[in-house]
Amino acid sequence: MSRQLTDAELEAYFDEALPAEEMARLEEQLRLDASLRERLAGLISLRDAGTHSLGAIWRRHRLSCPTREQFGGYLLGTLDEAAREYVEFHVTVAGCSLCSANLADLRRQRAESADAIQTRRRKYFQSSAGYLRKG
Amino acid sequence: MPVDFVSQFDRVLIERVRAADAEAWNELIGRYEGRLLAFVESRLGNRATSEDVVQETFIGLLTSLPNFDGGRPLESYLFSIAAHKLTDQLRRAGRRPTVPLQPTGASSSGWDVAGQQQGASTMLRSGERRHLEEAALVRALAGEIERWRQRGDWEKLKCAELLFVRGRANKEAAQQLGLSEQTVANYKFEFLARLRAALGKLKLPPDVFSELQA
Repeated sequence: MSRQLTDAELEAYFDEALPAEEMARLEEQLRLDASLRERLAGLISLRDAGTHSLGAIWRRHRLSCPTREQFGGYLLGTLDEAAREYVEFHVTVAGCSLCSANLADLRRQRAESADAIQTRRRKYFQSSAGYLRKG
Repeated sequence: MPVDFVSQFDRVLIERVRAADAEAWNELIGRYEGRLLAFVESRLGNRATSEDVVQETFIGLLTSLPNFDGGRPLESYLFSIAAHKLTDQLRRAGRRPTVPLQPTGASSSGWDVAGQQQGASTMLRSGERRHLEEAALVRALAGEIERWRQRGDWEKLKCAELLFVRGRANKEAAQQLGLSEQTVANYKFEFLARLRAALGKLKLPPDVFSELQA
């Protein structure tokens, strides 16, 4: 990637919001380029100081993300053409990593055994339930 | 008082978890663990380590629950905890570089958000004030997105998403959408003008929305 990265891309990196392969590519760039790290630090400082970034807020509130139900409809082939096209754009072109995760999860649920899922959930529950507190 | 963006279903679930209801906690885990695992595993590529990160995410949710104010959807909050835990893991593995807390020579390194100087109002605002500003921007953005959807203006939605969320430059967005750069520039201008108008009615200080300054 030889072109100049935009501020919004760097912020998306900071939010872990880019597709995995681009996150890895940017990590590599940041490891090698001190001025890029400095630029990112500046953006984080502005955010900490209270400047609102359109992209960060859009992402945080998932403003254009399809719903979980729409992803289900997408996999079942029940969405209309415009909605289906938008789901594909949002995941593959806009590269929403959270929606990619939702879609991957729904796909995996079809393939994974119920026992495997239950074993995993039980492990999460047992390791965390001790932190349940009233209040 | 922060604006509440949590769905009714999640609000009830959180209330029950706050009351130390183990069944509700189990339900919350079942509802969210799969998508969190897919998110983390896409970055780490290792199932066992990814499950550890998800485990830390759930513990992180419970320990931070007293601070969760409903200012964002629960799913988004969980993903942000997972992203933090993931970042820690990537740093430990030497993959994610540490970013200095205070940039040096910042003004000459080109990181300033285009055309902005931080005003006093940016620095001195309270957390509550920031919440209100964010809520106003969310409502303005959501209004625009809904308007595009209602009108079938998918192209404008896709364009704004590529420019502001994905961070593409006008030229790249034009190429990806099969549009002219002029059309992309026109969409961008119209979108920002409508947001400015919506926020202007609320008399919010323009310097806190850096990308909206003319």
